[in-house]
Amino acid sequence: MSIELKTKYGQIDISNEVIATIAGGAAIDCYGIVGMASKSQIKDGLTEILRRENFTRGVIVRQENEEVHIDMYIIVSYGTKISEVAHNVQSKVKYTLDKTVGLAVDSVNIYVQGVRVTNP
Amino acid sequence: MSITALDGKRFAEMVIQGANHLGANAKMVDALNVFPVPDGDTGTNMNLSMTSGAKEVKNNVQEHIGKVGIALSKGLLMGARGNSGVILSQLFRGFSKAIETKAAISGKEFAQALETGVETAYKAVMKPVEGTILTVAKDSAKSGVQASQKSNDIIEIMEEVLKEAKASLKRTPDLLPVLKEVGVVDSGGQGLVFVYEGFLAELKGEQLPDSPQSYPSMDEMVNAEHHKSVQSHINTEDIVFGYCTEFMVKFEDAKLAKHPFDEQVYRNDLSKLGDSLLVIADDEVVKVHIHSEQPGDCLSYGQKYGSLINIKIENMRQQHTNIVGETHTPLVADKPQVPKEQQEYGIVTVSMGSGIAELFKSIGAHAVIEGGQTMNPSTEDIVKAVKEVNAKKVFILPNNKNIIMAAQQAADVSDEDIYVIPSKTVPQGLSALLAFNPAGDVTTNEASMTEAMQHVKTGQITFAVRDTQIDGLEIEKDDFMGIAEGKIVVKNKDRVKVAEDLMGKMLDDDSEILTIIYGEDVSEDEVNNLVAYVEEQFPDVEVELHDGKQPLYSFIFAIE
Repeated sequence: MSIELKTKYGQIDISNEVIATIAGGAAIDCYGIVGMASKSQIKDGLTEILRRENFTRGVIVRQENEEVHIDMYIIVSYGTKISEVAHNVQSKVKYTLDKTVGLAVDSVNIYVQGVRVTNP
Repeated sequence: MSITALDGKRFAEMVIQGANHLGANAKMVDALNVFPVPDGDTGTNMNLSMTSGAKEVKNNVQEHIGKVGIALSKGLLMGARGNSGVILSQLFRGFSKAIETKAAISGKEFAQALETGVETAYKAVMKPVEGTILTVAKDSAKSGVQASQKSNDIIEIMEEVLKEAKASLKRTPDLLPVLKEVGVVDSGGQGLVFVYEGFLAELKGEQLPDSPQSYPSMDEMVNAEHHKSVQSHINTEDIVFGYCTEFMVKFEDAKLAKHPFDEQVYRNDLSKLGDSLLVIADDEVVKVHIHSEQPGDCLSYGQKYGSLINIKIENMRQQHTNIVGETHTPLVADKPQVPKEQQEYGIVTVSMGSGIAELFKSIGAHAVIEGGQTMNPSTEDIVKAVKEVNAKKVFILPNNKNIIMAAQQAADVSDEDIYVIPSKTVPQGLSALLAFNPAGDVTTNEASMTEAMQHVKTGQITFAVRDTQIDGLEIEKDDFMGIAEGKIVVKNKDRVKVAEDLMGKMLDDDSEILTIIYGEDVSEDEVNNLVAYVEEQFPDVEVELHDGKQPLYSFIFAIE
């Protein structure tokens, strides 16, 4: 599956993989995120931090009636205001996709899959 | 004077002073905000976070510094807003953790706590972006630790911390490319510097001056404003305020007596004239940066208070055209093909889409101005086009109800003899133009053109940009709408279906000719289907097809 953008010179196809990678990259720039989690691991009750090359497993790009939705499964750091971190991720992802691929995302849904505790 | 032990009460005062100082300068920090999202809210967010922390501290003032630290950490966590707000809360969470059990702390412990704060903050991010508040905090804490090895005086340590924070802030553009590109320092880092300035002032027992020493420079803020402006204006046509206007007013006592200067009032008054407003004032001068469409009004307003110096006005539309790399296309799409000597009649029309422009020219228009829905040409564009046509009498066909006004204004301001035929749609314009008789006199032509407009019915198909309810129809974003004579009558997800429905409503026994002008986004198949439909359903109607290449409107129908 891919996202299609039409211009007057023709069509641009951007694969969902690419969107997911860009979204993942934007998210980990955000403060408070310590990793991405895989969606499918919820079944096993396991939440493991994904390695960088597997980010896309924690980012799901969906298309419904011409609308683009992104679901992101993240792990945050303990002691941060989680709602605010999630909100920061949303705005950063939306902005980055708009700026780099000219894609207007309709929603960025954040699923906080884990909190990592570190002792100062 | 030196302070070697810091207790809860004093620390509480430091926090409050830091929060106040940040609050007073939040607008400046906002102005610098280009990273991570250039939405100009870093200062506001940091201020809200810090204020929440300070409030919690105010409610818990006591001797035990550890307890005050906990209160600060809690307040910051609850009130954290935005990226820098969350980072700020982490910095002080680590700081507070380090002093949790202490009733008072020494200089060494203070520096150590700052360092712990930085460590905590770095743990809460996967990929720390350097050149931000994190870097400023890290560099300054390190320098604080170094200073604490030489001295136990908290004032001295804080001085070192602040000095390094400022130096580190200056280096942020070297670390984060987007800052360098725009020519600003990091906004979050600047916010932290303000907090530290507040801390130090309290330690020294000083009151911070109203206008602090470490203003980000006006140039930097101007750069950031421009960056934001570029980000939000993708097309040159979208720029509402076209002139970047900068000037300084040197106050004159005589004028001030008549108009006492109040920065807030001044700011409010100017903000009515444009956007991206920056005002910095001291006792002698006020600096202003504004994007406005009426730079003259801004200058006149400034002159009320004194004399103008250092005036700079730039046309941003032109600059923007250069920035986005467009080849500079003059708004008058085509030079008139007529010879330079003056002719009797000239016809200027407005349309969008190169196909429609061709169509107009093929039936006698001398100049076609690019424009239409969402990209109205200005009065000036029209006056210019009229001049280029170089005729004794010029007719203008605006072809859009929003442009009629501009055309009439052009008629008022121009020295040429201009007649506006108020055509509201492209089909009206076409019929009016066909009724034009080069041999006739002005009055007859004006009458017959206006008359011709009445005989044509216009249908348009376009799409909805948002959900709405209008003319009794529930319309969702991206639905195609069929508009008959300015009223939305049908809608559908499929544009050919809408076109068919619309024609069903508009064609009647008197209809003879149907002209279909199709837009740039319509495929050949869709056009063929539509023509087939009309020929089957309305065999008496003659169909004429034109490739209008217009944006926004998939189809424009003219029914005569």
